[in-house]
Amino acid sequence: MKSLISIRDIRKSFNGGELYGNLNLEIEAGKITSIFGPNGSGKSTLLNILAGIVRHDGGIFTIDGFDHREFSYIFQNYRDSLLPWRTNFENLALPLEFQGKSREFIAQRIDELQKLFEFDCDWERYPYELSGGQQQILAFLRALITRPKLLFVDEPFSALDYGNNLKLRKHLQAYFLAYRPTIVLITHNIEEAVHLSDRIVVFGSKPAKVIASVDNPLAFPRNIDTLKSEAFHRTKDAVLNAFLKTETI
Amino acid sequence: MKKYAYVGPILFLLIWAAITGFHLVNAFFLPSPVAVFGKLLKIFSDGGIFPDIFATLFRISVSFIVAAGIGLPAGLLLGGFEKAYRSLEFIIDFCRSLAPLAVFPLFMIVFGIGDASKIAVAAISSSVVIIFNVAYGVMHSKKSRILAAQIMGASRLQIFRSVIFWESLPQIFVGIRNAIAWIVLIIIAAEMFVGTNVGLGHRIIDFQITYDLPGMYAAIFLTGVLGYVLNAIFALAERRIVHWSGK
Repeated sequence: MKSLISIRDIRKSFNGGELYGNLNLEIEAGKITSIFGPNGSGKSTLLNILAGIVRHDGGIFTIDGFDHREFSYIFQNYRDSLLPWRTNFENLALPLEFQGKSREFIAQRIDELQKLFEFDCDWERYPYELSGGQQQILAFLRALITRPKLLFVDEPFSALDYGNNLKLRKHLQAYFLAYRPTIVLITHNIEEAVHLSDRIVVFGSKPAKVIASVDNPLAFPRNIDTLKSEAFHRTKDAVLNAFLKTETI
Repeated sequence: MKKYAYVGPILFLLIWAAITGFHLVNAFFLPSPVAVFGKLLKIFSDGGIFPDIFATLFRISVSFIVAAGIGLPAGLLLGGFEKAYRSLEFIIDFCRSLAPLAVFPLFMIVFGIGDASKIAVAAISSSVVIIFNVAYGVMHSKKSRILAAQIMGASRLQIFRSVIFWESLPQIFVGIRNAIAWIVLIIIAAEMFVGTNVGLGHRIIDFQITYDLPGMYAAIFLTGVLGYVLNAIFALAERRIVHWSGK
């Protein structure tokens, strides 16, 4: 196993209260790792620390060959991260514009991604004219347009209905299989976690810590039938059992 | 709601006509609408008012261009360097609170009694209004969008150009519209003092001195129209440019 991200004894406090004591975690290259846990277990904070947005109080982490141009982060509040003064096309183009790529290059990338995600909209109109679900997908595509080697995704499916949720999972999987980035996915939905990831890391809260790491042996591609399979439920049960060790329901 | 917009003005004119028609107040202080609008028609038909309108419009336009030329870059720059803004905050707030006409006598000594001093007072005091609003807009841009651009690896300049400038655009318009209102106020008032023979403010005083009250009301009305039209132009521009506002 080749790990891309190594986290050693990361400590973080908020307003005097300790969020993590000593957090240790390895994240493998070219795999999808889900972080599953209750609210307040510091999942988003961990991604923010790794992305360099939030300072940690102690410990170290390394990300092999980190480069902003090969890194994307899909925020939970996608609506706030799209730019309403830019058309849908210009929104998608933004990260590549920052990198100084030509209009033709950008148009070609958008075309490829649009096909992979079976997504279409009026590209000359504005994000606020799209539905919430379409905005979500637009934010998603914008993060993938640079073909990142490392992708952080925070609760990407929360605003979608079940059908669109399944579709986006399918497309994210297709993207993953085509380009093999390393993906760290935060979720509090077990089904999503088991459906998409190679490994599920279960977080507990107060203080936040890693409770368990569950390897997911299901083969890719995973379709709707996978969701009904016995192997799927075995992994799901293992995650649930780990979760129940700390949470009393 | 638009169809109700006419109700108020029509009611106003009817009440005005009734007051003067039934001689409820001295006709010298309040001439009838017919007398006022007759006078308005006359100063337009004999062309006598045009030099005043052009002079006032010219002073307002130059003042605005100078104010925007100072206020926009200064506001963007100060907003971008928050420590610099905080250092100057007191001075900016103080200047914003200072009645602009208080410095008019000083400006007359420096710039002479002609157009230059009127324009300088209007331009400089309204540029402070623009600086304040633009800097405020820049400093209060939504952090989530800036963060998103930072994560994409954008440089500071790129973030400023692609995100912060647009984020602050609604507030920039607030500044610009406030500044225009200031400028109209200051220019009309300054025209009433000395150093000019043309201008709507000058005309109001002229009519007053000659006890031509229908003329005075007509000139006051024109001043109102001017302010209203200028504000409407910028409101329209704002709606066009800041199309995403409130969405």
